Amino acid sequence: MAEPFIRVENVVKKYFRDTQALTVLDGLNLDVTGGDFVALMGPSGSGKTTLLNLIAGIDRPTTGKITVGGVNVSAMSESQLAKWRSNNIGFIFQLYNLVPVLTAYENVELPLLLQPLSRAQRKKQVELSLSVVDLADRKSHYPRQLSGGQEQRVAIARAIATDPKLLVADEPTGDLDAKSGEEILVLMERLNAEFGKTIVMVTHDPRAAARAHRLVHLDKGVLKEDITAATGKISVGVAAAAAAAVSK
Amino acid sequence: MRFLPLVFKNVLRKKTRTLLTMGSIVLPLLVICLMGTFLRALDRPDPAATRGMFRIVTRHKVGLGSLIPVTYAEKIRQLDGARAVTKFVWFGGRYRDQSSKNFFPRFAVEPETFLQVFDDAKIVRGSAEEWLSDRAGCVVGANLVKRYGWAVGDKIVLVGDIYPIKVELTVRGVFDVPDGTASALFFHRKYLEEALPAFAGTTGTIWTKCRDAASATALIDVIDRLFENSSYPTKTESEKAFQMGFVSMLGNVKLLLTAIGAVIVGVVVLIAANTMAMTARERVTEIAVLRTLGFQRSTILGMVLGESLVIALLAGGLGLALFAAVEPGLQRGLLSTPMGAFAASMRLFPEVLAVGFAVAVGVGLVAGVVPAARSAQRSIVDGLRQIA
Repeated sequence: MAEPFIRVENVVKKYFRDTQALTVLDGLNLDVTGGDFVALMGPSGSGKTTLLNLIAGIDRPTTGKITVGGVNVSAMSESQLAKWRSNNIGFIFQLYNLVPVLTAYENVELPLLLQPLSRAQRKKQVELSLSVVDLADRKSHYPRQLSGGQEQRVAIARAIATDPKLLVADEPTGDLDAKSGEEILVLMERLNAEFGKTIVMVTHDPRAAARAHRLVHLDKGVLKEDITAATGKISVGVAAAAAAAVSK
Repeated sequence: MRFLPLVFKNVLRKKTRTLLTMGSIVLPLLVICLMGTFLRALDRPDPAATRGMFRIVTRHKVGLGSLIPVTYAEKIRQLDGARAVTKFVWFGGRYRDQSSKNFFPRFAVEPETFLQVFDDAKIVRGSAEEWLSDRAGCVVGANLVKRYGWAVGDKIVLVGDIYPIKVELTVRGVFDVPDGTASALFFHRKYLEEALPAFAGTTGTIWTKCRDAASATALIDVIDRLFENSSYPTKTESEKAFQMGFVSMLGNVKLLLTAIGAVIVGVVVLIAANTMAMTARERVTEIAVLRTLGFQRSTILGMVLGESLVIALLAGGLGLALFAAVEPGLQRGLLSTPMGAFAASMRLFPEVLAVGFAVAVGVGLVAGVVPAARSAQRSIVDGLRQIA
């Protein structure tokens, strides 16, 4: 059997408030194969975002081991992690988090500034990324001049600019109306299917989860359910039912 | 360097705040440059000595309020190295009223010897002969003519405050000096002696023009030793030291100015640091996102610090340019005041400008270092959590 692209082994994550320890993830194990599209669901405080942060290397487990693409992320130094993230991870946030003083072009260029690329090479990459999200004609617009859906598409262009293998998305449709949310989900499906990106997405929305191939339910820091769609996609009904079961 | 455009974009993110922060650096920087220029002017070598004037001033050892015998002038004249000697009496008095705007130095002098000792002064209107031949005549500095619009032949009335007389003078000449500090009025000593015979044998100061710099230095000791055991011991000093003595009457001016400068720098640092901290606080999430994308802590540190530095450098450049623009006008304004001799030493001193620029850079670095370090050190997760 092939080595999984992401392997989470016995991961415990505790936060400390004064002398009180709060266990957010409690001995979690999870494997994700390359090219998969995984939805993480669960009630608030279940540890979804914490798990996403650990996989993306912006936080470290208290104990346990996380391997991404064969690299032990939990053993890396702060500086090594930063470099690794810039080459291997694309982030998509709920509130887009574009830099307001930069144009769409400049926002997408940001992660490329960390790469050893010439200005011409960066330009090529930025234009390619913007064309993938169908916003090539809005490259000189500032975030305030774009709609929420367009802002999120620019954020996705920024996430794919360095051509990372893994995209992590935290509630990517959580701040969008249904139509814009649908467009973003279609785009993410395309990135997964056409460009082979492995996607791990945190969501509360069963319709968003239904775009994934696999549904992982967390509750109180432990894995409650792990459903892999037999037909390639999770149905909305299954996602809604799973969400309801966990929240009971 | 590839992050520099981002630094500039952040500097211009809130233009009003950036401009106000720059203003909070520019204005104190002007004051610091001004004080630095004053301090430097105080330390300048004697301009009269460097122009070959070699003048020294003798007064009573106790102070300017005590008079010395006029016979001292003749004794000094006979010393080796003394080329010419003249006597000054501070008349003071009031012109028009007692307001400070109508204050200017007024002396009773011996015109013949005065012109020998102050041979750098040139009569630019009227003539020395007219002054010499008119006992009620006076010469006035070119700066006073500019201030009051006097012309040769005009009458000037001075009402004594030290001496209980009123002197009515006629302008017989206008003089100017190379350093542009001609802001005094000189009239015949005989006028005063005739009106107040009791003062005839005394004088306030004796000015000696020496043969050369070595003679001037030597004569300072020789003169004071000559009179040290008399009833009227003297203190002799260079013209520059004598003029600076008036400034020192204000107390330890250098210490005072330096202390004020230090306080101003401290206040500016606090203001700028507060602004930078506010700027960094507002961008906690944005900085967390940059770090998520792979920006190293050191890059974030450099960017936030760079922002503070750019603001300080722009403010520093603007402050120095403004100071360079206003300094000549300030000097012109002071030349016609009792601080004229001091103002003549004022320049755009490169070392003062360098210190001003260094202060601006220092303010930028100190103000930015704490917010920059905090921004770089904050955990990404904490930063992203502030989205909500």
